[in-house]
Amino acid sequence: MLLSVRDLQTHLHLKRGVLRAVDGVSLDVAEGETLGLVGESGSGKTLTGLSLLRLLPKGSGRIVGGSIKLDGQELTTLSEAALARDIRGRKIAMIMQDPMTSLNPVFSIGDQVGSPLRNHDIARGAALRSAVVDVLQRVRLPSPADRLGDYPHQFSGGQRQRIVAAMAIGCTPRLLVADEPTTALDVTIQVQIINLLRSIQADTGAGIILITHDLGVAASLCRRIAVMYAGQIIETGPVRAIYRSPSHPYTKALLAAIPRLGAKRARLTAIAGQPPSLIDPPTGCRFAARCTLRMDKCAEAPPNVTLSDGHSAACWKLV
Amino acid sequence: MSGFFIRRLMQGVISIIGASIIIFVISRLSGDPILMLLPNDAPTSMIEETRRNLGLNRPLWVQYLIFAQNALVGDFGNSYRWKMPALKLILDRLPATIELAMCGLLFSVAVAVPVGVMSAVHRGGWIDRIGRVFAMLGQAMPAFWVGLLLILVFAIKLNWLPAFGHGSWSQLVLPAISLGWYPVAAQTRIVRSAMLDVLDSDHIRLSRALGTPERLIIWKYALRNAAVPLLTMLGVYFAAMLGGAFVVETIFAWPGVGRTVVEAVFARDFPVVQAGVLFTSVLFVMSNLLVDLSYGLVDPRIRNGR
Repeated sequence: MLLSVRDLQTHLHLKRGVLRAVDGVSLDVAEGETLGLVGESGSGKTLTGLSLLRLLPKGSGRIVGGSIKLDGQELTTLSEAALARDIRGRKIAMIMQDPMTSLNPVFSIGDQVGSPLRNHDIARGAALRSAVVDVLQRVRLPSPADRLGDYPHQFSGGQRQRIVAAMAIGCTPRLLVADEPTTALDVTIQVQIINLLRSIQADTGAGIILITHDLGVAASLCRRIAVMYAGQIIETGPVRAIYRSPSHPYTKALLAAIPRLGAKRARLTAIAGQPPSLIDPPTGCRFAARCTLRMDKCAEAPPNVTLSDGHSAACWKLV
Repeated sequence: MSGFFIRRLMQGVISIIGASIIIFVISRLSGDPILMLLPNDAPTSMIEETRRNLGLNRPLWVQYLIFAQNALVGDFGNSYRWKMPALKLILDRLPATIELAMCGLLFSVAVAVPVGVMSAVHRGGWIDRIGRVFAMLGQAMPAFWVGLLLILVFAIKLNWLPAFGHGSWSQLVLPAISLGWYPVAAQTRIVRSAMLDVLDSDHIRLSRALGTPERLIIWKYALRNAAVPLLTMLGVYFAAMLGGAFVVETIFAWPGVGRTVVEAVFARDFPVVQAGVLFTSVLFVMSNLLVDLSYGLVDPRIRNGR
């Protein structure tokens, strides 16, 4: 297994208390596989992604438990220096949400795309230049050799996301964490970026974790999906299984909330209520307060029930 | 960009005209120069004669128009006292003033940038706290007092550096520090807050995620972003130092424009005062213009006309 996360616990130490942002997450990503990490804002999916690189908010964020193994190497105990030198940008790279703010406005894109290659001693001098042109070609930026001296503001949103992708894949990382890579883009550009991620994967065989709240994007890119709610993975399985027979009431409600073209109803379906506070989360099922199928048993933590090969959900109804 | 530049240029011209009127009127409010030029017992006819020769008997607005017309071609009249062209007197002293202002600015930046950067990086740490105390001291201590303190400590008590004069590097140190002392505080704060902003931005987060060493993140990728607001200030401070150096120049007997103008004020040497002040305001406007242009050097978005 390329990446193997077990019982990951990430806490944010805030003034009003300790927020259990990621609370017992386990997931696996195989080489060349794309895993979709789906959930609403605040469900802990982004912090799960950041935990893999240990890029948590300075001072407040801390991994307090669990293990993260990349190619068998434990990352949670690695020193900060070793992490920066060997892992970040080298073995695990990240693509951020907003391409308009992800590039440094006062450095040329040649400098920025070359930066990971320089930092990880992959290329220098003339070789560096041709490596930069090469990687920009791979993300299909038009005429890259003429544009190395250009600055981010001279590119469109879609082009900037391609440049960000080029920075990420420059050192051919083993794992790519893409945090909402299409959210800030127009729909037509979204398709281009999705296709780009596909071709990057075909080229490099990297594993991808796609963090998104867009079930459509997840369905079009991923083979497997993990649904997060309130800091925990509540259902995981192959894309088909999850979309055809969602088992956790939250997943069902989430899929039912997708508006369909031609539907008669004028109002959008919503899930009533709010996710629980993660500073003092309920002991039982975290979705219970909003669940229409709630039983007395839900006051206890639900077991993870295997439904079919690779499809499991945490809910008392399934026992 | 060019429209913006032309607009700034026009604003600069208006500022200079305004400054010329103010200095012209104020210098004449300070008293009658004739009494300084002639002996106390000079006969009235001689006073009248001198007044006529210098054109001081005509209406004030006529005097101003003549002055403005001549000033446009660089003629500010002769110094009453030194009997040489006022502008030449000022220009002769200018290099010393620029030298002092440059070194003062250099001193303030050399202190403000590292302190500001480290305060932002170790927010709330000891550098940040000491920096804040120094910032307060800087704002609270006027240049003349700093100058006197420096002379007392480094020239008189320790005898490390000369207290006055011009010519060698050692004579430059104390005046430059006195002049650069005040802006350190404001510059440190600007650098600190700009760095805090940048260090929290998405592109720095991405840089970190891709394994850029912290040293490069701070001193290369973040600092150039933070330099934009600092640069604005530097232009203003450089201009203010050119004009405001007179206190420091007087304390350290520095042969610059400021001291020359101060002496001219005491002597009611109108042409020199006018030439000096007007010339300084032109420099002020010009350095602000240069700052507007230099944004482009740091920020490519402005360079490319956006």
